[in-house]
Amino acid sequence: MTKNGAYELVDPTTQPLVASFSVAPRLLDIRGKRIGLIDDSKTNAKELLEDLASILEDRFETSVAMYHRKPSASKPADPQVVEQLAKECDGAIVAVGD
Amino acid sequence: MTSGLGSLVQAQWNDPVEAVEQCYALGWTDGLPVVPPTIERVEEFLAVGNRPADEVIGELPERRREVTVGKVAANAVMAGCKPEYFPVVLGTAEAMLDPAFNLIGPSSSLGGAGILVIVNGPVVPALGVNSRNNLFGPGNRANSTIGRAVRLILMNTCAAIPGLFDRTILGHPGKFSYCIAENEGGTHWTPHHVERGFKREDSAVTVFACEGPRQVRASNTPETMLYSTADTISNLGTSMASVGSVGDTSEVLRQGEVAVVFAGTSDVWEDWTKDDIRRYLHPRLKRSMADLKRGGALEGEISDGDEDEYLQLILSPDDIMIVFAGGAESSHMAVIPSWGPKVSSTSVTRRVQWPRPSPDCLNRPSTIPETTKRSTT
Repeated sequence: MTKNGAYELVDPTTQPLVASFSVAPRLLDIRGKRIGLIDDSKTNAKELLEDLASILEDRFETSVAMYHRKPSASKPADPQVVEQLAKECDGAIVAVGD
Repeated sequence: MTSGLGSLVQAQWNDPVEAVEQCYALGWTDGLPVVPPTIERVEEFLAVGNRPADEVIGELPERRREVTVGKVAANAVMAGCKPEYFPVVLGTAEAMLDPAFNLIGPSSSLGGAGILVIVNGPVVPALGVNSRNNLFGPGNRANSTIGRAVRLILMNTCAAIPGLFDRTILGHPGKFSYCIAENEGGTHWTPHHVERGFKREDSAVTVFACEGPRQVRASNTPETMLYSTADTISNLGTSMASVGSVGDTSEVLRQGEVAVVFAGTSDVWEDWTKDDIRRYLHPRLKRSMADLKRGGALEGEISDGDEDEYLQLILSPDDIMIVFAGGAESSHMAVIPSWGPKVSSTSVTRRVQWPRPSPDCLNRPSTIPETTKRSTT
């Protein structure tokens, strides 16, 4: 406390750290691209991805290069899986089911 | 002045109500009034913890947050803790940030988990953490404020703010405060932390992401009490009796954990160990395929054999936590199902730095349970 009822308070909140990654360039055209699919393991995520992949294949001649089902909806995809996606796919689609 | 406390906020007030209102205005509270985290008060806590304010105790990478000793101290101050509670709050925060606990899940999920803190060891009588009557209720400063510090830490340092990252549908009152201690002196059972590999003279905290406690009233014999307890655990509608959100569905149901708190007197259980109880309960924690279909946990029509085919709700007897605590008047139990499957969050036990590391701080332990004082003098 200082004079005149002035106080210094410790800020109990945190701010997000600067991201250690940058976003990959967006695909301008998905025709013929290799797509990776990430299923968050919630209900209907798999069905949603399968239907979507089929539509994309019909309309844009995409191919499914990788399919990953997360061990838990509450956990991020394994970094090794993400690395593999980056190598083998041109783009990825994540489905959040329920 | 202690360094490493991060940003400071200049404030001015002329009376306590103004001080409380300013903390509301800053968006720092859980909806209840807080103690303003003045730098002097936070430093008192840090002196007890005897660790640098800027030491990072864990991180939440999904929200790009780091949690420091100083931030934990500020939130413990706001919760109304006494400085000597700080090692318990710090140990609890470290346990929550253990990767096995996967804090991102229970702090965001629509399932609305509370984080139960179970305190064991010599720190319990030293700080007067309540392990007896009104176990989950109000009236004891250590339980109320340590449990509340957990929620403030989640909201302020982990951004688990209702409506933002905390997407709870219902939640339960344990989200305000949910801290109990085991009554180790009242039972012949092995204390919970000793079952988890710590020494009896160690102090430890366990964090468990879970639903609210469901009281079980059943007296007479150990068998009748345990039969009723098993029946309560096996209810439809809990997280344990549901599916989904797990990649590996070979067990069909989600396979979480359950905590069971046993109140009453220990002599009722003189012929039983905690493991005996687990052996009794475990095979009974199940539900028929037919019931699971009737309740919508499983899809499909009920077919031949579904009435007689049972699914196990808890995979291993080790996933049943047993704690002796509560009033001695009657043998009540409390059943606490986990928020989710173990793969999404597993209960974690951590040692508490107790006795406190700084010799200066050992002169002021409270040995009297800090019950709510009605007098203001």
